[in-house]
Amino acid sequence: MSAVFAGRRNSRINAPTLLSYDRWLVASVGILILIGIVMVYSASIPTAERYTGSSYYFLLRHLISIAIGLAAGAVILRTRMRFWEQAGPYLLLAGILLLILVMVPGVGVHVNGSSRWLRLGLFKLQPSELVKDFMIVYVAGYLVRKQDELRHFTQGILMVSIVVAVIGALFLQEPDLGAAVVISFTVFLMLFLGGVRFWHFMVVVAAGLGGMILLTIYSPYRMARITGFLHPWADPLNKGFQLTQALIAFGRGGVFGVGLGGSVQKLFYLPAAYTDFLLAVLAEELGLIGVLVTICLFAIVVWRAFVISRAADRLGQVYGARLAQGIGILLGGEAMINMGVNMGALPTKGLTLPFVSYGGSSMVASCIAVALLLVVDSETRQRKAVRA
Amino acid sequence: MLAGFALLAVRAFYLQVVEASYLQNQSDATHLRVIEDDSHRGMILDRNGEPLAISTPVDSVWAHPAELAQARNRWPALTRLLGISGAQLARAIRNSAGLQFMYVDREIAPQTAKAVMALHIPGVALQREYRRYYPAGPVTGQLIGFTNIDDVGQEGAELEYNDWLRAVPGKERVLQDRYGNIVQPVESISLPVPGRNLVLSIDRRIQFLTYRALMATIRKFHAHAASAVVVNVRTGEVLALVNVPSFNPNNRSTLASSLIRDRAVTDEFEPGSMLKPFTIAAALGTGRYQPTTMIDTSPGTIRVGGYTIRDDVDSGTISVAQIIEVSSNVGATKIALSLKPETMWDMFRRAGFGMSTGVGLPGEEPGFVRPYQQWLPSEQATMSFGYGISVTVMQMAQAFAGIANDGMMMPVTILRRDQPVVGRRIMSGTIARELRNMLELVVSSGGTAPGAAVPNYLVAGKTGTAHKLGTDGYRPNSYYASFAGFVPASDPRLAMVVVVNNPRSSEYYGGEVAAPVFSRVMSGALRMLNIPPDNLPHMQRWVAQAPAAGAKGGFIRVVAQNPAAPAGGAP
Repeated sequence: MSAVFAGRRNSRINAPTLLSYDRWLVASVGILILIGIVMVYSASIPTAERYTGSSYYFLLRHLISIAIGLAAGAVILRTRMRFWEQAGPYLLLAGILLLILVMVPGVGVHVNGSSRWLRLGLFKLQPSELVKDFMIVYVAGYLVRKQDELRHFTQGILMVSIVVAVIGALFLQEPDLGAAVVISFTVFLMLFLGGVRFWHFMVVVAAGLGGMILLTIYSPYRMARITGFLHPWADPLNKGFQLTQALIAFGRGGVFGVGLGGSVQKLFYLPAAYTDFLLAVLAEELGLIGVLVTICLFAIVVWRAFVISRAADRLGQVYGARLAQGIGILLGGEAMINMGVNMGALPTKGLTLPFVSYGGSSMVASCIAVALLLVVDSETRQRKAVRA
Repeated sequence: MLAGFALLAVRAFYLQVVEASYLQNQSDATHLRVIEDDSHRGMILDRNGEPLAISTPVDSVWAHPAELAQARNRWPALTRLLGISGAQLARAIRNSAGLQFMYVDREIAPQTAKAVMALHIPGVALQREYRRYYPAGPVTGQLIGFTNIDDVGQEGAELEYNDWLRAVPGKERVLQDRYGNIVQPVESISLPVPGRNLVLSIDRRIQFLTYRALMATIRKFHAHAASAVVVNVRTGEVLALVNVPSFNPNNRSTLASSLIRDRAVTDEFEPGSMLKPFTIAAALGTGRYQPTTMIDTSPGTIRVGGYTIRDDVDSGTISVAQIIEVSSNVGATKIALSLKPETMWDMFRRAGFGMSTGVGLPGEEPGFVRPYQQWLPSEQATMSFGYGISVTVMQMAQAFAGIANDGMMMPVTILRRDQPVVGRRIMSGTIARELRNMLELVVSSGGTAPGAAVPNYLVAGKTGTAHKLGTDGYRPNSYYASFAGFVPASDPRLAMVVVVNNPRSSEYYGGEVAAPVFSRVMSGALRMLNIPPDNLPHMQRWVAQAPAAGAKGGFIRVVAQNPAAPAGGAP
């Protein structure tokens, strides 16, 4: 709590404005959110009109999510890194608790064979999205605390692996394979960059991949998704339906797109057009140009995250450096996996495109992640200023 | 990580540039659909442009079966509105499983359609269709016929002229969403062509009049059925064609198939004495007989080839004209037996018996005239008064119109004739006029059909009362009561044949049952068509004064239009 007070005191002295943060990062995220607003509206109109009677239904909810996300981000901007460094283990415990709550009948909401949500008044919270942030906050702290022991297998990687396994198991319980993959990917990349020995790292990665392969073989619906991804045109009306429809959207878009609002695939052909497969609609309406711009924006976000991380590292802000790295990997990983799925380069998983797709929890979690990144950035700048 | 983004960019380029045309083809296969753009079937109009069959736009409710199946909780609202049972709907959905289209209910009222759409049930949509409506209902029942729910003619004029009336739907390529809803048109392949209107020769007013008179008649005489045809003798146009009992083509839920037949063209019957004028015409044509030639019909019976032919009464020695007037079978027999079979056969064939009239209605029967080479004397005798030969009401109307038109028979048609057609001479004008005078006697007080008289007009006609043929010979108490005639006799304009099938009352003679129908219909029709009277009281005096007295202008002009009015027309 003292950290919070410290933050408040500090901000009174030197109240940062939005422009004093990393402009590349802020601009990229801002543009991504704007693209998301336009595309979510465009892609959700047919579904909204058909099932709710109002074409603004999903747009309004998306805007509310953004507002909540920005509000959460604004609150986080007033905190200090120290607070997060200390809060990491508690947040992790809270996250695990939330993930267990999801499984409790009556509290968790069951949709389409998955229980990923908690009812929160008017909104549903998807804890796995928040847990991704919590996990990074925790692991960054772990890397700092155990800096010296990382070179030992048990101390270095086994402990974290166990935590990842627990969280991963809880994710799979929902089931939410996408989140499990993203968080494992992020955490192990963080460990690797954080100084874990290469062969230790490889052992765990091999074990993780083996586990995933086993999971895939034993669970038919995942198997179906895998085979659907490898041969989408073999069964375009069934297993390959979603993917072939997404690929058709890309093809229809061509270089310049069919124009905003001109998508045909969103007319119920493409399932989840405004959530997981929003990029396909974007590709159809805005063409290759739109897709490349989106890829560039995410690349900028990742690039800036690593720039911020390095700047923090140079000033000895190890926690901030690890945190910024983790956030860059998380956002970049989510974006890459989502886009890869949309383009048929990766098996279909339920993952949203950060900042862009419809989905409240994901939007809030992504805003929190960027806000944390900006906290690291601003503290680094302040320190630099003090040194100078 | 940046390499990952670069790979995604390469993949996007591959999909959106290299593979684009393949993917676009895949897209067209599912997104584009050719739809038919319906148009309306042509109207059927009477000769004055009054509608007899019109297509009114209606809506049909259709659904995407799988989607409607999912919205099970909305079914009750839908079934309540459409008045169908839930089980019915469930069965229809089951039967359409795997299809993209099913009808829920067809041809519903516009306000119901609006209410259905207001329910916003997923997968339910409307389709514009056209429903056929027949303003005259049963009055034109068999004549117009009807279409089925897919707008294809099934009976009557609707069937015969289906190709003319039918609309050719346009074809349009459209973009559809996954549920089959049309999002936007892409291109028009062909434009819809609405059906053409069909103008019939029928005069709806005379048709109504005939229908009313026939209905009253079958009720009064407890008859099985009745048919009547009214023909314009100068053009061959059919002005009315009625069969009763009829059916309401607008509500065919309880339609008996026997009512659909247009009996006036599809049913053959033995005409009986209505045929005698043609026997007499054949005799006059030989030059051996004059209307005044005397024939001895005593004692009212004659034996031919083992059969006895009878008259109702012994008329003694009477003229050829009187044979028609009193309808003597014995007289007709004696004349017939003096003729060569070929002469009689030739007359019947020229009058159109034994061959289709080509009036333009489906299912027309040609009737039957046995080849003269096979005629036995007894057959020749019975044929002279209309037994052993079968005809249709339409044939009889055409042939009588031929007599009325001075021997020039115009082919009958149910389409309005705007161009004159070539007729066929069935007898000389002289013989036709002689026959006309004889046929006038029939309607006189001494004839068999005084009931056919029309006030202020001269009427010529012939009754028929024929035993119906049963499974074993002629049935004693079962008759066709008929009357064929034309009016005004001095300058015929309209011919009409009335045949009442099996009147079951004490009166069954054609003169008693059928002739009054003729009178009722003709008196109305003559007025409607503005045909000037030729038998007003003191008619002859007016005519005589006509050339001199300009003072009586209006009336004189009317008479002057009918120079053919014979001086001795009054009975």
